[in-house]
Amino acid sequence: MRTDYLSHPPIKCVVWDLDNTLWRGVAVEEEAGTAPEPDPRILDIIAELEKRGIVSSVASRNDPALGKSLLSISTLAGKFVAPQVSWEPKSQAVRRVAEQLNIGIDSLAFVDDSAFERAEVAYMLPAVLVLSPEELPAALDSVAFKPALVTDEASRRADMYRAEEERRAAEESFAGSRTDFLRSCRMRLTIVAAGEDDLDRITELAERTHQLNSTGRSYTRKELRSRIADKQRRLVLVARLTDRFGDYGTIGAALVDKEPPGPADIWLAELVMLSCRVEGRGIPAALLRAVMLEAQAAACRALRAHYRVNERNLPIRLLFRQMGFEVIGKDTEGTILAARDLLSAPLPPYPEWLEVVRPREACE
Amino acid sequence: MTRESIAARVRALLASVLEKPATEVEQLPDSTPLFGSGLSLDSLTGLELLTAVQGEFGVDIASEDLNLDSLRTIGTLAGYLAGHSDSSHTSL
Repeated sequence: MRTDYLSHPPIKCVVWDLDNTLWRGVAVEEEAGTAPEPDPRILDIIAELEKRGIVSSVASRNDPALGKSLLSISTLAGKFVAPQVSWEPKSQAVRRVAEQLNIGIDSLAFVDDSAFERAEVAYMLPAVLVLSPEELPAALDSVAFKPALVTDEASRRADMYRAEEERRAAEESFAGSRTDFLRSCRMRLTIVAAGEDDLDRITELAERTHQLNSTGRSYTRKELRSRIADKQRRLVLVARLTDRFGDYGTIGAALVDKEPPGPADIWLAELVMLSCRVEGRGIPAALLRAVMLEAQAAACRALRAHYRVNERNLPIRLLFRQMGFEVIGKDTEGTILAARDLLSAPLPPYPEWLEVVRPREACE
Repeated sequence: MTRESIAARVRALLASVLEKPATEVEQLPDSTPLFGSGLSLDSLTGLELLTAVQGEFGVDIASEDLNLDSLRTIGTLAGYLAGHSDSSHTSL
């Protein structure tokens, strides 16, 4: 019995083979005009995964046109995000799913009845959790497939990926400049002080974000709850995003210590984290700017931030560089302390295409 | 590669990742900031730039330049690459 998946990182997407996995038989061998009947047990699993915030995709070696018509049959329509149906190797299809969803390759599971295809993906992409259909039921009970908590955002994740696909398709067919496109999206970013209601989502962001997570530190719910409650000492901001394609929910948060060791007029951003889905739209910069504005309003002369250097979070280091932070120290555990002067250099403005909403309570 | 030819390649890579006309970026002075009001790189386009730089110059700025100081201006990036890329050694 396999046990390797017991220690696998959390799965965010399951990539399914079609022929002899999702249904019995081979679609192209069916009589013209008839579609294969999807295996109801697999459909149940897909529905259960979606409830846990795990989306499904497809990697099938078939004629792309056939794939399109198969995936539009009523029992399957809308169930898959970023499906890949083509003649290319499955490892390439799986890699493309990760790229299109902008998630790490190790957050994918791949299910295929063919030992050859499983071996090809396992060889080319060793970080992917590769399973046969027979191995799947046991794997589903493992930690990798069981998020500790399922937030509203998580159970709507498939919808959000679909909105994201729609956005991407609109971007590809958009004739004007990228700035014009971003303006046409009508993005609204609402940044507010977190409440008790945000606890689950903040916990989840701390677990799931990597590329845009400054320290990668994990927090217990208790630690986060006390940070949200202690308004005197702490500032916890959450950012929610909507655009004309949909509601993405809470996509980022910042934990700020207003009384860190050291001078009284310097705050410390102990954690800044954002969902990687929002990259490339000025949103990380907007969240950090909001923190800097709060610090300025409280007469701080500088904002400090902690971050760590790891193989995945280069985007957040670039964000700190973008916003003018300078490294001023490093502790024995490798955590870097950076600072941004708030008095001399002006803050970069919010991007012009982004409507930033700051309800009054966020400032209190 | 000379410092000037490195700076020219840096400008070409910037034009490519920012989807700006090459002629526009060619005219910018060395002192132009890469982030903020200058060329407005962000975390995503910055990542693309570093990937392109690594491919072309063999320099892994992300692991060698902790503070990403080389990414201040066009000139600092060209200067950093002139001092660190393999081609600068072979041309000596």
